[in-house]
Amino acid sequence: MPGLLAGSPQVMAARVLARCIGPLGRRSAVWCCPSSGSLRVVAALVPAARRPFGVLFGEQHKRRSEATRVPRSSAVLQWRRFGDLPPLTLESIAERVMYVLKLYDKINPEKLQSTSHFMKDLGLDSLDQVEIIMAMEDEFGFEIPDAEAEKLMTPEEIVQYIANKKDVYE
Amino acid sequence: MANPMRSAVITLYKNLLHLGRDYPKGRDYFRNRLKAAFMKNKDVTDPEKIRELIARGEFVIKELEALYYLRKYRAMKKRYYESK
Repeated sequence: MPGLLAGSPQVMAARVLARCIGPLGRRSAVWCCPSSGSLRVVAALVPAARRPFGVLFGEQHKRRSEATRVPRSSAVLQWRRFGDLPPLTLESIAERVMYVLKLYDKINPEKLQSTSHFMKDLGLDSLDQVEIIMAMEDEFGFEIPDAEAEKLMTPEEIVQYIANKKDVYE
Repeated sequence: MANPMRSAVITLYKNLLHLGRDYPKGRDYFRNRLKAAFMKNKDVTDPEKIRELIARGEFVIKELEALYYLRKYRAMKKRYYESK
């Protein structure tokens, strides 16, 4: 909607007004033709506000849920998810751990098993293991204390540890 | 393995690795150099010597921080004063 974004103070005021009145007149006001200025927007609001309340409440509820789900216009799209992530499961943790390990350049992806020991089977040293743990910290967004990081020697153990920390159970 | 210095060395390695992410020549360059530097001294067992090497690592951390501050300062200066 280029009219809304045009930035004239009148249009902005009308927009704020439309927000305040909320879903009552939203469709008629904002979606009508905002480019023609605030006078017309206000005029469009008035008949909407005169509707009986019972109807309004019923409709209001319906419209609000509709407004949050259906992307109607790119300018006013509001679909908030508040940084929500899909819930972790043991499978998704295992998948992400293996993905990170495959990207690590010193590991041969063909030799990598969920039970392979970093030092004995994959030929890494303790510094590589520290790097792996750091990569896991980045991937899952929390810090693993050194004392516990030292004990994590196979992908399986890492998955188990992360699942315990994040309260993921079968 | 149960050396008390071990955790100090690993912490140092971790800190350096964290700092190396913004290294001007690239993260991988820094990581390889860091690894080589640590591997060079992997057979050191004398606690005095290890302490000395850790102190050197701390010094490198300070240097890196100074480098980043300087880089930031230069960028700011460029943005604000060189457009005249």
